[in-house]
Amino acid sequence: MKKIFVSGLIAGCILFVLSYGSLFLAVKFFPSLFTEYFNPLFNSDGSRDVLFYMHAFIFSFALSWFWDRFKSLFKGVFILRGIEFGLVYSFIALLPVMWISFSALDITVAMVASWFAYGLAQAIIAGMVFAKINP
Amino acid sequence: MFYKNILSALILFVLLTGFVRVSRLIPAAETKKWVISETSNLSVNGTTNINKFTCDIPNYGKTDTLTLIKGKNDKDLVLSGSVELKIQSFDCHNSMMTHDLRKTLKASTFPVLKINFLSLSKLPNLTMQPELITGLVDIEIAGVRKRFDVSYQISTDAQKGIHLVGTRDVNFSDFNLIPPRKLGGMIKTNDKLNVSFHLKIKAEN
Repeated sequence: MKKIFVSGLIAGCILFVLSYGSLFLAVKFFPSLFTEYFNPLFNSDGSRDVLFYMHAFIFSFALSWFWDRFKSLFKGVFILRGIEFGLVYSFIALLPVMWISFSALDITVAMVASWFAYGLAQAIIAGMVFAKINP
Repeated sequence: MFYKNILSALILFVLLTGFVRVSRLIPAAETKKWVISETSNLSVNGTTNINKFTCDIPNYGKTDTLTLIKGKNDKDLVLSGSVELKIQSFDCHNSMMTHDLRKTLKASTFPVLKINFLSLSKLPNLTMQPELITGLVDIEIAGVRKRFDVSYQISTDAQKGIHLVGTRDVNFSDFNLIPPRKLGGMIKTNDKLNVSFHLKIKAEN
């Protein structure tokens, strides 16, 4: 349990820096990709900002438990284990969620595709961290 | 006898004029009626940290009347009347942004943006050459009313139509509104907005 928590916390900190850092840079250097976010579907008043920034930790703790439960299935060096872990997560969880999101919400394919790529990258990084800390 | 005649004349004058209201003796304030055409328009320009946007109401869609009352001197100019604009009529040329602006302006609770005209700094000359004047207005958005000094350019066209173009910077925060911010504030709209309106007017006497 402690290993799940510690590896989740470390992965959360790393994901926090990388995710929001890359998002900040993407907004700065590719602003046109983000104009679609001026949409009433997205919270506007800042009341959920804390929840938004907690996402990296919610994500990493959930994946940490998942890693601990199924880590024996992922073989090879830590990079390969991380990539495989990320792909498994993306296909069983992310893809169906993106599918239902696109079908139900007024959002673009580009937006959904970017969320999928973002989630996949986060899961691969988390998987590599887990493979190192909790092999 | 001479004094008696003068006294009689004075009494006659008082009797003839005593029941006439004083206001009839003093020249009345000059009043002009300005009819706002339905083709008048309003636009709002704003910026975000990723782009610029313009939302406009291309057609006022109805006619209203402004009354210009000139007092004893040129400085006493009262402009009364108002225009009411439907928030639903705003078009930001991007459907998502249009919906977002309507939500920010609380269109469902406060469906109308109101501009109340209060005064003009001077009587315009009404020539084809644009003249710069200022005036006070009350702008009411989302149930909050604020008074602003607006810069106007006023001119006439060949058909004697009057063009009153007003511009003013306002802030979302002036009306207790929160500028839209997305993704934890990574994408945010700046507080300042430039509001400009073009009233096309026909003078009525």
